[in-house]
Amino acid sequence: MAELDDVIHQPLRLKIMAALNALPQSAGLEFSRLKKLTGATDGNLGAHIETLAKAGYVSVEKAFVGKKPQTTVTATAAGRGAFARHVATLQEIIAGKQF
Amino acid sequence: MIDSKQATDALADIEDTVRRVRQSLIYRFTSTIMLMWGALVFAGDILSWLRPGYGLYIWIGVYVLATAGLFALSAYNHAQSRIRTFDRRYLLSFLFIVAFGIFCCVFGQFTPRQQTTFWPVYVMLFYMMAGVWFGTAFIVIGAAIIALTLIGYVYIPGMPFLLWMAVVNGGGLFVGGLWMRRS
Repeated sequence: MAELDDVIHQPLRLKIMAALNALPQSAGLEFSRLKKLTGATDGNLGAHIETLAKAGYVSVEKAFVGKKPQTTVTATAAGRGAFARHVATLQEIIAGKQF
Repeated sequence: MIDSKQATDALADIEDTVRRVRQSLIYRFTSTIMLMWGALVFAGDILSWLRPGYGLYIWIGVYVLATAGLFALSAYNHAQSRIRTFDRRYLLSFLFIVAFGIFCCVFGQFTPRQQTTFWPVYVMLFYMMAGVWFGTAFIVIGAAIIALTLIGYVYIPGMPFLLWMAVVNGGGLFVGGLWMRRS
């Protein structure tokens, strides 16, 4: 029986993974855009991205565009796999296979 | 563990986020295209006002530049985000739209003034149709440009109508592009 992924299941981390997973492989989202899409604050978003990065689910790339620092977050292959399994588990729960 | 209701809510959250990401990507790329079209249309209307006899060549030039620009923007976008946004299918659709527009102008025997009105109204109709699927910003921008174009057609006689169209059509696309980028 599949288990829910505790790292992904937290609501904001679920939104972050859903957003990154909606992009083509190896495409990422800038921090500011991710913030707008998830409705999170800077600090909150940063902390949850760090949790996902520690789990190996996202990679974080920092660069300068002109003089402005830009942080881009990308879902890793492990992250995409974990997200797909998490969604499958949610669907199983809805279908009543787990309870 | 969670219950079925919580799982349904989580999946709804995922769907909502995915929908917002897709809309954001569409808005971002379209806004760049609108800025390009805005600048080209503005230049086309101003040049047509300055050199009324060369309207056909000016607008052929605008469309050739726009097509090249669409390919260039798509290549840039692909390099930046791995997402391809303009390919042969889009080019064909674009050519069909232009071909039908030319067909209407020729068979309708439109005057230059009517053609100046027809093209923005015709193209904005597609923006509004796109809005049904991709977001209300397209509908708002399309409806605003159509309304202002028709107001100019009715109330602004003679050559100043081209200046009005430069502001309304070129400027409208430019402002619409900036607005869409912030949405």
